[in-house]
Amino acid sequence: MSKPIPEEEYRKKPLTRLLQWVGGEIDPFLETMETQKQQNQKPNERLIRKHRRDLDTVISMVHDQKHNKVYKLFRRFYKVASVVCCLALIAMLLTAVSYLPPVGAADNPSSNEVAAKYIEDGLQDTGAVNIVTGMILDYRAFDTFGESNVLFIATCTVLILLRSDKKKDKRQEEAEQRREQHYEPKDDSILQRITFLLFPIIVIYGIYVILNGHISPGGGFSGGAIIGAGLILYANAFGFEKLNRFFTEKTYKWISFVSLSFYCLAKSYSFFTGANHLESGIPLGEAGAILSSGLILPLNICVGLVVACTMYAFYTLFRKGGF
Amino acid sequence: MQMLEWIRFASGVGLLLIGLGIFMLQLFGVFKFKYVLNRMHAAAMGDTLGIGVSLTGLMILSGFNLVSLKMALIIVFLWLASPVSSHLISRLEVVTNEHLAEHCELPEHLGEDELF
Repeated sequence: MSKPIPEEEYRKKPLTRLLQWVGGEIDPFLETMETQKQQNQKPNERLIRKHRRDLDTVISMVHDQKHNKVYKLFRRFYKVASVVCCLALIAMLLTAVSYLPPVGAADNPSSNEVAAKYIEDGLQDTGAVNIVTGMILDYRAFDTFGESNVLFIATCTVLILLRSDKKKDKRQEEAEQRREQHYEPKDDSILQRITFLLFPIIVIYGIYVILNGHISPGGGFSGGAIIGAGLILYANAFGFEKLNRFFTEKTYKWISFVSLSFYCLAKSYSFFTGANHLESGIPLGEAGAILSSGLILPLNICVGLVVACTMYAFYTLFRKGGF
Repeated sequence: MQMLEWIRFASGVGLLLIGLGIFMLQLFGVFKFKYVLNRMHAAAMGDTLGIGVSLTGLMILSGFNLVSLKMALIIVFLWLASPVSSHLISRLEVVTNEHLAEHCELPEHLGEDELF
């Protein structure tokens, strides 16, 4: 059995130190590394003036269009070269297109046994009338899982880069608000009235596209993009305060977390039961009905939620650096 | 009956061609003009009138069915959305451009605060 050890010894153990370092309690370089205070650098006025003068000289010589022969020649050459480049590119592309096999020919390289398998057995295997959805959310569901995670990771990266956590004091905040009010006029009554009409329709259309993903063209990605665009429109018209009543950072976190983990668990389950992605144990139902095709509908909803949240999160992060 | 079909076809194709002509004008205007309000005017013309006329032509060609209804909804959506976006662009231009008077006539009695 393990013996109790004194606290001093416990603190020196590498695992404890690692945990403390991860938790941010200690800095392992604090007393072992030699550091020097940075000295205040004085700007060299003479050098700066010289640089500025040089820059002015260069600019005046380059942009002296009347006397600069190279510049004139370059302008003429640029015009000719752009036309020649465009024509060459067009000719190349047209030549390449003319060598492509005709659309829909039986001996095209793309019409092999994979496509035939999807078209023949897709409906029976997945229960989805829309073969594309059956492919991306059933045969190749792990690929789509990776895509959803890419969206989430992209949001995380933008969050790391653009997040502004600084607490502003009141005067600064007011000045910023006034500036924003001036350059980005809010409370535009025309925009608000139209948003009042369009926002519910846009969101309902997005939900329709998501829910019908396995029956008609559409699915999680396109429907989620529509809902995200609706959210951005709402934020533009009514401001972030109103939107924050139903969509905050916490909502974003929970929606992303629940969708991604549900997707992961659902597809891990079908992986676990034979790795063929097909027999999930959930009845496929009648093809063409909304509640059919097993796991595809919930997975579509998950993907749609993640995409909508990502679009809105990008917008709000780039706009003001936080939710 | 044959005559009616021909009239329908001709009017549909005619409207489609008019719409495409308006789109050409829009493209030409967007690249020809330099000032933002002029370009916005040209672009908005294609988004409303051009798409309205071409989709009406397509509706006539398609007949009275669900596809026509969807096209009508597209027209309604775009006629709601496009003028509003043009309005926002022009408002931003009026608010932010300090040399507005160089480009267009301003009513003289209008003060700084009354512009927005």
